[in-house]
Amino acid sequence: MKIEDQKLRNIGISAHIDSGKTTLTERILYYTKRIHAIHDVKGKDGVGATMDSMELEKERGITIASAATYCEWKGHEINIIDTPGHVDFTIEVERSLRVLDGAILVLCSVGGVQSQSITVDRQMKRYKVPCIAFINKCDRSGANPFRVIGQLRTKLGHNAVAMQIPIGLENEAEGVVDLVGMKALYFEGDSGETVREAEIPQNLLEEAKAKREELIDAASLFSDELTDAILNEREITSELIYAAVRKGTLEREITPVYMGSAYKNKGIQPLLDGVNYLLPCPAEIENVAMDMNNNEETVVLDSDPEKPIVALVFKLEDGQYGQLTYIRVYQGTLAKGSIIVNIRNGKKVKVGRVVRMHAEQMEDVEYLKAGYIGALFGIECSSGDTFTSPEINLTMISMYVPKPVISLAIVPKDNKSQLAMAKALNRFSKEDPTFKTFVDNETSDTIIEGMGELHLDIYVERMRREYGADVTTGKPRVAYRETITQRSDFNYTHKKQTGGSGQFARIAGFIEPISDADFIFENKVFGGAIPTQYISACEKGFKQSMAKGPKLEFPITGVKVQINDGASHAVDSSDMAFQACARGAFKDAYLRAKPVIHEPIMKVVVETPVEFQGPVMGLLNQRRGMIIGSQDEDVMCVIEAQVPLAEMFGFSTILRSATQGKAQFTMEFAIYRQVPQSIAEKITLEAAENKKSAA
Amino acid sequence: MIKKEMIYRNPLVNLGYDNEDILPVGGFGAVLAHAGVGKTALLVQLALNMMLRENSVLHVSLNDAVSKVDLWYQELFHDIAKKFDIAEINDYWDKIQPYRFIMTFKVEGFSAPRLEERLTDLLQQNIFKPHMVIIDGFKFDDAGRGQLVQLKELARKYSMSVWFTVHTHRHEPPQENGLPLSFLHVADLFDVIVQLAAKGDEIYIKSLNGKSADSAKNDLLLDPATMLIKNGK
Repeated sequence: MKIEDQKLRNIGISAHIDSGKTTLTERILYYTKRIHAIHDVKGKDGVGATMDSMELEKERGITIASAATYCEWKGHEINIIDTPGHVDFTIEVERSLRVLDGAILVLCSVGGVQSQSITVDRQMKRYKVPCIAFINKCDRSGANPFRVIGQLRTKLGHNAVAMQIPIGLENEAEGVVDLVGMKALYFEGDSGETVREAEIPQNLLEEAKAKREELIDAASLFSDELTDAILNEREITSELIYAAVRKGTLEREITPVYMGSAYKNKGIQPLLDGVNYLLPCPAEIENVAMDMNNNEETVVLDSDPEKPIVALVFKLEDGQYGQLTYIRVYQGTLAKGSIIVNIRNGKKVKVGRVVRMHAEQMEDVEYLKAGYIGALFGIECSSGDTFTSPEINLTMISMYVPKPVISLAIVPKDNKSQLAMAKALNRFSKEDPTFKTFVDNETSDTIIEGMGELHLDIYVERMRREYGADVTTGKPRVAYRETITQRSDFNYTHKKQTGGSGQFARIAGFIEPISDADFIFENKVFGGAIPTQYISACEKGFKQSMAKGPKLEFPITGVKVQINDGASHAVDSSDMAFQACARGAFKDAYLRAKPVIHEPIMKVVVETPVEFQGPVMGLLNQRRGMIIGSQDEDVMCVIEAQVPLAEMFGFSTILRSATQGKAQFTMEFAIYRQVPQSIAEKITLEAAENKKSAA
Repeated sequence: MIKKEMIYRNPLVNLGYDNEDILPVGGFGAVLAHAGVGKTALLVQLALNMMLRENSVLHVSLNDAVSKVDLWYQELFHDIAKKFDIAEINDYWDKIQPYRFIMTFKVEGFSAPRLEERLTDLLQQNIFKPHMVIIDGFKFDDAGRGQLVQLKELARKYSMSVWFTVHTHRHEPPQENGLPLSFLHVADLFDVIVQLAAKGDEIYIKSLNGKSADSAKNDLLLDPATMLIKNGK
């Protein structure tokens, strides 16, 4: 690895879906000589842009999963993590953002800052990712980069400053004026690969001078040296300006803006220079992990290659040669032959092949130092796992995985689809800890579970496209739960005498509600009323009962069972008898413990232009939503509410039509809460009907 | 039980105010203190008291995000109710939470017409009708009297009472009546004025204006550790 660490960049390219992110990535790879031909995103030539490795992405022209690739530009090594442009793949987005140190925020010079740019920007803000902006599509009619810079300021609150001005726009887009070096840049050759420097055209000179003044003014806030130079009228060098802008960018106090047209091969090389000059190297970013030996206390990681290894798996891919595990090393050096431990399950593995990826091509390397991104072969793990040296116990990501709140039955059309589906499900559940799958014993249906309607939709679609599994889906079902609201005693005898050896068991005790655990079993039987060897059978019996409520058949949670008395028979008592007795006792006590239904409540955050605030609140209110609050942020406003998941089906369509497509929302599980009586009655009826139809 | 406990703790009644609501309809109240002494904590306790009595509270914050304001409520509610079972507390919280609505604005984006616009959104669709409004972070130094007069009209129009936090500065010595100079020009608009003053390890809650003449004088303190109101020695 020849590159010095200061010359390493791990960046993401974040943008609204249609702003040309994939085209930009493609051009970057072309100019950095990682690829030798340019393709279109929509696959007109049947090849597709290089970063989109998934079929679905190729077809829709969007990017769902993040591929990582690297390239070199003027002695700097740039790892590009292709971040999803869609807000709903939260885990995917959050993981990508976790591994990047800086980002290019791509905006369309016609569309400007759109609501999704706002979400992407918000995510970057949350992870404190420094960014530079690139205003793309300057060749389109209606292009106006300075309007977009204005929107960056007003809509996103960025202190955006132009690093360039365009030489011509729309059809006449020819190049850009570099305001730091004060020269005109033209992009020549078949694919714009030759950058020609020239004098600034006379008609743009005044504008260029004025914009340079603005740039220097903004930059001077971050450099005393630059301020000195201005005050003393000394020469203001490019180095001075870059150093000041860089400082501001790293603090997220300034957003340098580049412009061009990726499709027309204009302005990409200066943008890459910008990445080199202005975005941070890994050592400039503080990364933290949680110490599992110390109550998840945060620990700051040190990019020292000599320290114990800490690395995060952020993406899995099925390659030709098996599972490819994308990994970023945060501390230490991950080399061939290193022994590392998967913190999630404690399994030790020996590192085999280490490679660096360029979309689907790879290059073998000996090691990956702290700050570097690469991929491993033959490592059994899930996305989001942390690997460390055996002597430490740190995790990069909280081990908390929320339980799924929605489920869907999927049925393959034929045998071939069945096999493909099994393969796909296996892969998805490894990639995404919030995606679960199992077979319902009663209906023999395969059930998939996840965090929302769209979450499951995407996986079903991927199953069809990538794995060729032809599946039909059932109606989505909300994961209701049952729980009890009061204590109820039991004293139950299980007795059966139907020829052969009989069954006898008696258990007494009580069940009561608890809020901090799903199930607690307490044995307070003294004096051998129930022989010790049968206690575990009792526990097993009660636990089995929790899987399905006796009335509505939803899983039961929040129950403490205490047994304090019982009886056995020397011949007729057995494990089986005590298990059956526990199930009977539970059923008996449960119905007297005032059971209620709980439903998943989602935290819904809607971002909408202020003029639609009223209608959006109305929509949430109609859906049994409780609005927690609203946050006015100039022209946009954010409404936060808690809404039952059952009421959120189809909400995205309704929200779009109520707000002319200008609002968008995110949704995550918040809490389980008791269902109101009227709704509970409806659910009870539905459950009874389902039971009938299943029978 | 929680309800009783909370109502018992109605903070300002102990200072000698006439009724539980303290402010009349359309009335203004102010809590004066230096930064970080506990203005928000005190008002959130007043709000919780209102919510428990099934009256709605609109909390307008010009400093903090919705999530932070929500956290104030949750923390103080849990602190007050901590001797009860956690399940009971959570249940009760679920019951009273709908009586609260948080709105946040940027200081420069806040104005009486803007608040009215938002209120109309809520009222027209029958989403929320506040009895009491808290405005936290209002800049008295900059805002002219006109802004407050407009808010007062709004309070009367929608039959609400409004509490403000007033940030006083350490460099500004109080006037004879105990009020800071920057507040004097609007003080007559306020029915109740309460001051929080740190003395040693204690934070005293003093009434500067608005309680009945014959009411007994009680000392109230804000516990600096929990920010909960407690009776003085």
